Amino acid sequence: MDILSNLGEGFSVALDPMNLLFVLIGVVVGTAIGVLPGLGPTATIALLLPVTYTMDPTASIIMLAGIYYGSMYGGTITSVLLRLPGEAASVVTTFDGYQMTKQGRAGAALGIAAIGSFIGGTVAIIGLTFLAPVLGKIALSMGPAGFVALMVLGLFLVTSLGTGSTIKSVSMAAVGLLLSTVGQDPVNGSARFTFGQAPLLSGLDFVAVAMGLFGVAELLRSLEQTEKAQIIKTKIKNIWPSRRDLKDSAGAIGRGSALGFFIGILPGGGGVISSLASYAMEKRRAKDPSRFGKGAIEGVAGPETANNASSTTAFIPLLVLGIPSNVVLAMIFGALLMHGITPGPQLMTDHSGLFWGVIASMYIGNLMLLILNIPLVGIFIQMLRVRQGILVAFSLLIVLIGVYSINNSSFDMWVVLAFGVLGWIMSKTGFDPGPLVLAFVLGPILEKSFRQSMLISGGSLDIFVTDPAAAIIFGLILAVIAMKAITGFRRRTAGAKASTEAPVTEDASPQGTDGPDSDDPSPLLTASAVPGEPEPLPAGKQHSPTA
Amino acid sequence: MVSSPVEAAAEIREPERPRTGAGRWRRRIAPLILLVLGLGAASGSWLLKLGTLHHPAPGLWPFIISMAIILSAAVLIVRPGDEPLEAWGRRSLSVAAGVASLGAFVVLFELIGFFVPAVLMLLLWLRVFGRESWRWTLVFAVAGPAVLYVIFDRLLGVPFPADLALGAFV
Repeated sequence: MDILSNLGEGFSVALDPMNLLFVLIGVVVGTAIGVLPGLGPTATIALLLPVTYTMDPTASIIMLAGIYYGSMYGGTITSVLLRLPGEAASVVTTFDGYQMTKQGRAGAALGIAAIGSFIGGTVAIIGLTFLAPVLGKIALSMGPAGFVALMVLGLFLVTSLGTGSTIKSVSMAAVGLLLSTVGQDPVNGSARFTFGQAPLLSGLDFVAVAMGLFGVAELLRSLEQTEKAQIIKTKIKNIWPSRRDLKDSAGAIGRGSALGFFIGILPGGGGVISSLASYAMEKRRAKDPSRFGKGAIEGVAGPETANNASSTTAFIPLLVLGIPSNVVLAMIFGALLMHGITPGPQLMTDHSGLFWGVIASMYIGNLMLLILNIPLVGIFIQMLRVRQGILVAFSLLIVLIGVYSINNSSFDMWVVLAFGVLGWIMSKTGFDPGPLVLAFVLGPILEKSFRQSMLISGGSLDIFVTDPAAAIIFGLILAVIAMKAITGFRRRTAGAKASTEAPVTEDASPQGTDGPDSDDPSPLLTASAVPGEPEPLPAGKQHSPTA
Repeated sequence: MVSSPVEAAAEIREPERPRTGAGRWRRRIAPLILLVLGLGAASGSWLLKLGTLHHPAPGLWPFIISMAIILSAAVLIVRPGDEPLEAWGRRSLSVAAGVASLGAFVVLFELIGFFVPAVLMLLLWLRVFGRESWRWTLVFAVAGPAVLYVIFDRLLGVPFPADLALGAFV
C-alpha cells in the first residue's frame, strides 16, 4: 500500500518532538485567537508570517495549519457562550449554541462541537489521504492551459462565493493581479510599475501586503468600534454530552462530515459555506424544524462538523493543485513560497515529507484539540479579559518590526502601513480584501502559465478550448454562471411577488443580509438557513469569512 | 475603549442604505478611483509595449488586467449597489490620527532607532486610544519595547537602526 507507507512517513515527520511542539503551539494559539474577537486566523497568520521565515518549512506549515483549524474551534467557544463568533464560520453556531447556553446546556454544546469537529476532521483527513494522490496524478498530466483554467476557476469561485458584491470582488481580484505585476517582468526582466523605486524591483512583499490588508486594517478598524465588555456568568458543567445528545446528533455529524468534505475540495469552499449548508440541510431534514434556533443540538453538531471537515479538505486544492481556496490558505501558500516551495502537483513527490507530514499533523492536531479543549475551555474564556487596547497597541508594534525584519528594510514598513489604510478603506466601502490577496498570490503563476500557453499555441486563444482540461474547467465555470443567473432571476421574480403580497419585514434586521432584495451571492443563506433571529448580532463582531 | 452610555449610543450608527440621492453618488467615489487606477495602469502598460500574444512584451499581461479593472469599475459606477455599509463617523478621524502616529513611528525609527519611538507610540496608543490608566500605560510602554528589543535585536539578530537610547549601554 503506497498510501499507507506515505502516511507512515507523514506520521514519522509529524511525531518528531519539535513538530509535535509546533502542532501544539499552533492549535493553542489558534484556539486563543479564535476566542479573542477582532483577531481572526487570517490576521494572526499574517502577523506570524515573519516568524515562520526563520523556521523549518515543514514546522512552519504545521504550525500555521494548526492555527487555522484551532481558530475554528476557538470561534465555537465564544459563539456558544457569548454569541460572539470569533470568526465567520462560527456565526451559524450562535443560532442554536447560544440558545443551549441559555438553557444551561453550554457544556453539551461545546462537547458535541468538539466531538463533531474531531470526527469531521478525521473523516476529511482519511479522504484526503486517498484522494490527494489521484488528484495529483491528474494535475501532473495537465498542461499550462489547464493551469490557467484552474487558477481562473479558483479566482472565480472565491469572487462568487464570498460575501458582498460579486463585481466588487472581481475588481479587487483584478487589482490584486495588477499589484502582483509590480517588479521585474518574469521573462525579460524589465521593470514594470516600479516608479524608479529600487525596493520595488523585487515586487511588493507578499507578507507586507497581507499583514497590511488583514492585520493592520483589522487593528485600525478596532479604533472605530466600541468594545462591549462581556462577562461569562454561566458555569460550565457536564462538558460531556449525554447519551441522548450523542444519539440526536450522530446523524448530523455523519452528514456534516460528508458535506464538509465535498464542499472543502472545491476551490473557495472552505469554512462558512459548509457550515451554512449543513445547517440548512439539518433544518430541512428535521421532523420538527421549529426547534432550530431554539437550542437544537443538531444545529450545533452538523455545522461544526462540516466546518472542520471542509477546512481540512481545503488543503487538497492548495497542496495538490497549488490553488488556495480561501484567504487563510493563501497565507499558507505565501508562507510556502517564502521558503522557496511552490505548492502544486510536484509538491507530493518533491517534498513528500512536508506534504504527508502536514496531513499527519492535522490528525494529531485534531486529537490535541479534542483533549485540550474539553478541560481548558475555562482558561480560554479568561483570555477575553485581556483589554483590547493593549492587544491592539502591541500587535501594531509587532507588525511594524516584524515586517521590517523580513528584508531589514523600512520600505516594507511603509508598504504595510499603506495596505493597512487601503484595507480599512476597503472595509468601509464594501470591498473584500480576500480576492485581492488571493489574486496577488496567484498572479505571477497565472501570468507564467498564460504566457507558456501562448507560446505553445503560437498566440492563439483556441488552446483554452482545445486543451481538454482547460475546456472542461471553463465549461464548468460557464455552467456555474448560468446556474447563478437562473437562480438569481427566479429569486428576483419570487422576491418581487413576495414584496407585493406582504410588507417586507426582513429589513428590520440592520445587517440586512437576509433581505430578499439584497444581492446576496449565497443562495444557501437565503434559502432557509437563517432562523428568525430576534436581535442582531453584536455590531463589530461580524466578520467577512476572510477575516 | 470604554465609552459612557451616551457616547456609546451616539456611536451605534444605522448602516446606511441609500436608495437615491447623494448617498448613492458617494458610493461612486471608490469605483471612480478604481477607474482612474485602471486607466493609469492601461496607459502604463501601453508604454511598456504590448507585443503580440505569441511574443508578448512586458506590458501585455498588465494591459489585460487593466481592462478587467476598467470594465468592473465601469459596471460599479453604473450600478453602485445598495448593500449596507459602515458609515464614516467621528471615530474615523481617530483612525487617521492613529495612522499618522504609525507613520511618525517609522520616520523616527529610521532616525533614532527602535526604543524611543516605540515608547512614544505605546504611550499614545495605550493612554489615548486604549484609555488605560496612567500606571499601566507607563508600565507597558517602557517594559514592552525593552522586551521586544531584546527579542528582535539581541535574540533574533534583526539589525535595527542605531539606537539613540539603548545603543550606549546594551
